[in-house]
Amino acid sequence: MTLLEHTKNAPQAWSGNLPVTSRYTYGLAGERFFRAMKDEGKIMGSYCPKCDHTYVPATVFCERCLGELSEWVDVGLVGELHTFTVLFVDCDGNPLEEPELVGLITFGDGGIIHRLEADPDELEIGMPMEAVLKPKAKRKGSILDIEGFRAVSK
Amino acid sequence: MNERVAIVGVGWSGFRPRTPEVSYKELIYEAAVRAYANAGVDPRADVESFVTVAEDFIEGTSIFDEYTPDQLGAALKPVHTITGDGLHGLATAYMLIRSGYCDVVAVEGHSKASNILTHPNIVAYAQDPVLNRPLRLNTHFVAGMEMHRYLFETDTTQEQCALVAVKNRRNALKNPLASYAADLTLEDVLNGAPLAWPLGVRETAEHSDGAVVMVLASEKKAELLAEKPVWIRGIGWCNGSPSLESREWGSVPYLQQAAQMAYQQAGIRNPWNEIDFAEIDDTYAYKELQAMESLGLCDAGQAGALVEEGATEMDGELPVNSSGGSLGVGYMLEATGLMRALEAVLQLRGEAGQHQIEDAGIGLVQSWRGVPTTSGAVAVLSN
Repeated sequence: MTLLEHTKNAPQAWSGNLPVTSRYTYGLAGERFFRAMKDEGKIMGSYCPKCDHTYVPATVFCERCLGELSEWVDVGLVGELHTFTVLFVDCDGNPLEEPELVGLITFGDGGIIHRLEADPDELEIGMPMEAVLKPKAKRKGSILDIEGFRAVSK
Repeated sequence: MNERVAIVGVGWSGFRPRTPEVSYKELIYEAAVRAYANAGVDPRADVESFVTVAEDFIEGTSIFDEYTPDQLGAALKPVHTITGDGLHGLATAYMLIRSGYCDVVAVEGHSKASNILTHPNIVAYAQDPVLNRPLRLNTHFVAGMEMHRYLFETDTTQEQCALVAVKNRRNALKNPLASYAADLTLEDVLNGAPLAWPLGVRETAEHSDGAVVMVLASEKKAELLAEKPVWIRGIGWCNGSPSLESREWGSVPYLQQAAQMAYQQAGIRNPWNEIDFAEIDDTYAYKELQAMESLGLCDAGQAGALVEEGATEMDGELPVNSSGGSLGVGYMLEATGLMRALEAVLQLRGEAGQHQIEDAGIGLVQSWRGVPTTSGAVAVLSN
């Protein structure tokens, strides 16, 4: 940090910003994926028979062989905790009052990134985690239809 | 076709955490005129094409490539901007010459990070808008999750990662361009604030402002221009699957691919034995260990032990980030790859001053575009 930054005589700068708002089309796969989540409470994947690979969330093409995928599979609501972190800053870069738990829960050969409803000390890579869905009436067809993932109760 | 391509001139401005007295154009101008003087070229007469690297949201300007020609002397000349790291720019300049299309090309990268008032939001805007961005998470979560999985898969320890921060910030004490030099203990790093556990704030590079310009030339021009040309022996790049849901989390296969591409061109078969020093990604401390393994400097899970043994210290078998890396110098956005290449050029010319490595003959340079990307670029340089 230069001293100049802290003096009242610091050179002037202009400030500007840009409101950016976009529409992100779900597409053929996304629409079907989120409709299944909203209406049926399901997490769906798509299977590539050539590569023996299951994409979750489902896609209409295989990124390995570029073949078109038409075989859809219900992968259930219980996946495996592949990795997780305890996040201490928010999306503006400010410290969080309550740190957030975030993880990747694998289904098939893909998975879902989401918040974890758990005590960090109880979490272990490889443990089964279950998606907690919002009540059907409150689901809108987005990744936020999942409230988070919690350890599977035994 | 030009068989060989050399870096014949380098110039830089900064590097400092803040540069409130100059505009980004003035930062670039300063680096450019130094590079042209260093190469002994007239940019208006001798440089045939210009390559710059920049990203609109980082610059705060749409169609930023319109803002690059004037300060480089590139107006009314072939010029194009790549939304990539400085090493992607270097690769493009290399190809322009290697193909025989040009004999002298300039490449530019800069960082005016101190002017970006909402950087975490811009980085979050790079997350998948449908699957990830609705969670409104600071993108450091990707690094925290990657580090955790890397530790899990390789049995690397948090202490070994923290040692990278200790080493690099200590190396930076000898580099006048480094802003974040410090003599820290392992405990200082481990006891620092957490950022995205297991990743700590002191294992995360902070921003720096600056610009780097390099002049590249074909062999026949390089012989006329440079007393100490630095040859680009190989250069490679590769991207993985961008999807957080389907990418590899414990290893970085795209970097292995980029390294193979560069090594093949350079004829490198045993990197640890053949390479004299490496300037590689340390945006987060664990990334240096992960990069060493993916670059084939050691097997998976072995990098941590090498750092513990001191093998990557300045006086070790293969010094890694003698400059101080991003942790010591500062993270310079798209200019990061050129910042690392600059250190390699100075080392190979014997001009690195207090942090000169003895008998530096072949240098390895690698860069990554940061979270949430899966981008790798690798260059092998020699004197």
